[in-house]
Order: sequence, then structure tokens, then C-alpha cells
Amino acid sequence: MMRRARKAIAALAAASLVLGPMPVLAQDSGALAYQPQTSDERGLWLEMDEAERTLKTSRFVVRDPELNAYVRGVLCREVGEERCRGVRIYIVRTPGFNASMAPNGMMQVWTGLLLRMRNEAQLAAVLGHEFGHFEHRHSLQNFRSIRGKTDAMAWLSFLGTVGLVAQVGLLGSIFSFNRDMEREADVVSIGYMRGGGYSPGAAAAVWRQVIREGEATAIARKQKPRRHGRGFLDSHPAPEDRMTYLANLARDVPDVGGGGFLGAGEYRGAMAKWWAPLIDDQIKLNDFGGTEWLLEEMALGEGWTPELLYARGELYRARGKPEDFAAAAGFYREALAKGYALPELRRGLGLALLRTGATGEGRALLKEYVTMQPDAADRPMIAMLAGGE
Amino acid sequence: MRIKTGMLAAAALAVATPGPALAGWKVMPAGQAAAVAKSGLKVTPQSAWNRASWRPSKKGESWTLDGMLLNELRFFAGIAPGESLVKERNKKDKPLPKFSAQMLAPDIVQYFEATQRIVLGTSLFEVDSVEPATLAGHQGVRFTYHYAVQGDELRRNGEARAAIIGGKLYLIDFSAPALHYYDANIAEVRAMMDGAKL
Repeated sequence: MMRRARKAIAALAAASLVLGPMPVLAQDSGALAYQPQTSDERGLWLEMDEAERTLKTSRFVVRDPELNAYVRGVLCREVGEERCRGVRIYIVRTPGFNASMAPNGMMQVWTGLLLRMRNEAQLAAVLGHEFGHFEHRHSLQNFRSIRGKTDAMAWLSFLGTVGLVAQVGLLGSIFSFNRDMEREADVVSIGYMRGGGYSPGAAAAVWRQVIREGEATAIARKQKPRRHGRGFLDSHPAPEDRMTYLANLARDVPDVGGGGFLGAGEYRGAMAKWWAPLIDDQIKLNDFGGTEWLLEEMALGEGWTPELLYARGELYRARGKPEDFAAAAGFYREALAKGYALPELRRGLGLALLRTGATGEGRALLKEYVTMQPDAADRPMIAMLAGGE
Repeated sequence: MRIKTGMLAAAALAVATPGPALAGWKVMPAGQAAAVAKSGLKVTPQSAWNRASWRPSKKGESWTLDGMLLNELRFFAGIAPGESLVKERNKKDKPLPKFSAQMLAPDIVQYFEATQRIVLGTSLFEVDSVEPATLAGHQGVRFTYHYAVQGDELRRNGEARAAIIGGKLYLIDFSAPALHYYDANIAEVRAMMDGAKL
């Protein structure tokens, strides 16, 4: 058992080293900010720097400079330019709700999280929370407490997570901060938000959304909603508790002028280019209830825009229950009535109509699509469904 | 030192790759028609392939030439309405889309794509072409795609052929790294898809 554990440790520890074929680049890990002080901490930073080199070259990192500058700008606004310099943010294309922070200043924000934030203040709440872990050096505390133990399994679980750093998608679980650490990060994040002039109430709203979406997913799957959520939420305080204490904290902080900045319009503007591909990632997760809830929640803020209606049509069409095609056609039609020019809207409506038996109209719309989109990847197939060219 | 690095890389790959640790293999001889996925679907390989004892589902079967990570040819035969393409390993949190006999060709592509995204846990999956084709003499669809998986990063290309026959789905799917293997194998795979009989 022990020998097998040691072998596994070697393999896992190696994983983060061998998967990064890039030459060592000069790191600017917190060059002007915090530097590691002890040998424990220097070792931990070294591991993370290795993992970061792998992440840097990953296809999953979103490199859009505008989006990156926007997200970074939100963090810098709340923690200040000086402290912000110690952090490198990586936006990772993966549809879950997650963000993580490594002790060397490598922060990851998943696109699924960006899709779910309703305004800039909510993003500030999450970034501030992750920055709180960094500034309070929670990873180091964890590392030390594990190093103090002789139990090989404790090592395995720690190194296991470090090894998995090479696997970008699993980074959410790099360090299971304990609940006190999570709470501390939550508390300091409220302070950062206040510093940036953000409405501190947005932090509680994030958790309200997480709870409601989880419930909607569970109901549609005919499951019992779970109190703890999934994945990275397991090591965190229950979302219900967070929502409550964050709301209380927000009430207790000294007044932010005018209740603070929410920035819903700013957020939508910054996400405009990315919204369509990210909602597409979400729709393809086969989570009808959660996705429908997300769309309804967005419509509360901005009304049923053509983009939201199109996405809703796609969602219903993808679920594909017999009654879904008529519903989908309805949403597509509404978007069309609002003058939405997207060629794929014709495709969606046409395909939905073919499934409801409205063949003539469906074909006509598919013809429109192939005319509008002569280079579409599926043009030959759609042209055939449209009745030939 | 070189050997050690190789071993570590192999260890890392083993950790990073989902799938069966141990599988039994059966050689599928060249030039001999073989019934696949415990069905009446028959294909004739030009070279000797290896059939894994491990199966993607009760109605599926996997073949490879050099190892599943380098070339994987999967056959699915007789998927009935309400069934997922591959075995559902996490029904509660990651339920897979279900087949319907009324699906149009683009719906089949969508069913395949969503299944792959969920099973592989990736958002980098793109369909590159969709066109009419036949499978075992039935009207169907041919589509190509590419994807990458987190922690692996290699671009993989794929091509599939599918048709609904008697209300059930038949699908042959090939995927391999874009680097060398896809191009090296795709001609033979297409010939097998073209010559498939039911």
C-alpha cells in the first residue's frame, strides 16, 4: 500500500514537470509585490510556476486581449494597481462555475463563471475572494499542515492535486481551502469590493444564483436539490450560509457612495463577443433546467433579447422532446420578429419546423440559411434538407 | 536519463488519460469481413486491427491499430430511442443526451457532439463539415470534427458516418491525433465506412 502510494506520488509529482516542454521563461510572479519568504513557500511557488508554464501554452486559455484586460481591470480596481501586479489571470475555456488561486499568484477564471456573472460587481466579488486566498497565503498554511503529517495518504492527496495542475480542467481543486479560509476570503473580499466602490451586496447575489441554478438543474432531472452543490463547493461553506453571512457583512460595511457600483451594462458590453460561444458551451452540457434558469435570469435583467431567444430555441431544440420543437419555433420566431439577422436563426427555426411537420416553411428557411451562409460547415447537409439546390 | 524521462512521461500520460487500464485484445484479420458491435453490421478492414474487450457501451465496440490514444475506430449498432450513444458513467450529474428515431441528420451530429463534450469534459470541440452520405445503403450523414482534451492538448481529428435504419442508430466514428495518425489511417477507415453492410 505504502509502496504503491509512493509510486503514485512520484508519478503525480512528475506529471506537472514533464508535461511542460516549454523552456523556462522569466517569471514575473509578483515581481513588485509579495515574494516567498521561507523554504516551504519557495518550494510551493516553484511547483506552481511549473504548472503555470504548462497552463500558459494551453489551448484552453482564452487569449482575447480585451476580455483579459477587462477582467484584470476589475481586480485591479478593487485591490489597487500595486497589489494587482502580483497576480496573473488566466481565463480558461470550460463551462463550469469556478475560479481558483495558486500561491504564486496564478489565478484561473473559468468561462462558465464569466457566463454566470450578472454584473461587474459580482465578478469583483469572485476575484476578490480568490485574491483573499492569495494575500492571506492560505495555500502555504495548507502545505505546512500537510507537511507536518507523516501519513503517506495526506501527501498523496496533496501531491495528487498538484500533479493535476497539469490538467487545466481540474484546477478548481488545487487546494481545498478549509471552510475557515473560505470564510476569511469572503470577508476580505467584501473589503476589496468596498475599496473599488463596488456594491458589496453583489457577493451574496452570486451565491443566490448558484443555489437557484442548482435547484433548477435538479428539478428538471427529477432529483432532490443538494445543499452542498458539487465539485469545488464541497470544501466551501454551504452556498446558503455564504449567501446569508455575505448579505449581513454587506449591510455592516460603511456605506459605499450611492450603494456602490454594479456595472451590469459594462459587464454585458465586455462579454458581448463571448456570450454566444459560452452559452453554446452551456447548452451542449445537456443541463436543460439549469440552462433554462440562466436564460430566464438574464432576461430578468435585459428582457428577452433576440440573442436570449435564439439561445432558448437552441436549448429546447437540443432537448428534443416532442413538445420542444413547437416551443423552440416560438422562441426563434420571436427573435426573427425582433429583426435578428443571425443566419443560424433561420437554420434553427427551419430544423425545428421540419420536426413539427411544417415542412414547406421549414425548407424555405433552410434555403435562406444556405444562401446567407454559403461557407457554413453544414451547408451540403442543410441544402439537402432544404430540398436540394 | 532519457529512459527515465520517458517513463515519467508514460506515467503522466497514464494519470492523465481516462479509459481502461487493462483490456483484452482480439486481432481482426485483414481482408476478412467482421460483424461489429454484436450486430449484423459488417465491415472489412484492409489491415489487421485490434478489437478491445472493453466496450464503449453494450451496443458499441472499439478498434485500434496502434493504441486507442493514437487511433480509435468505434462502431455503434442498433441504438434504440431513449438510449445514450455510450454508457452513462455519471447518470446523476452528467446525464448524456438520448437518441430519438425522428432525429434529422443535424440532430444526430448534435447528439454526437454533446455526448463527446460531456464524456471528454471539453469545450474545444468543433464540427468542421456535415454532408449527406450513405451507410450500409441507407441515407445518412458524414461529418468531420476536431477537438482537444484538457491536460492532453493534442489536436485530434475525427470523422463519422451515421444513419437511422429501422428506427435505430448506426454510427461509425474514427478519431486520431491530427499529427500523423489521422491522415495515415483515414483512407482505410473511409473504405471501411463505404463498404459497411447490414
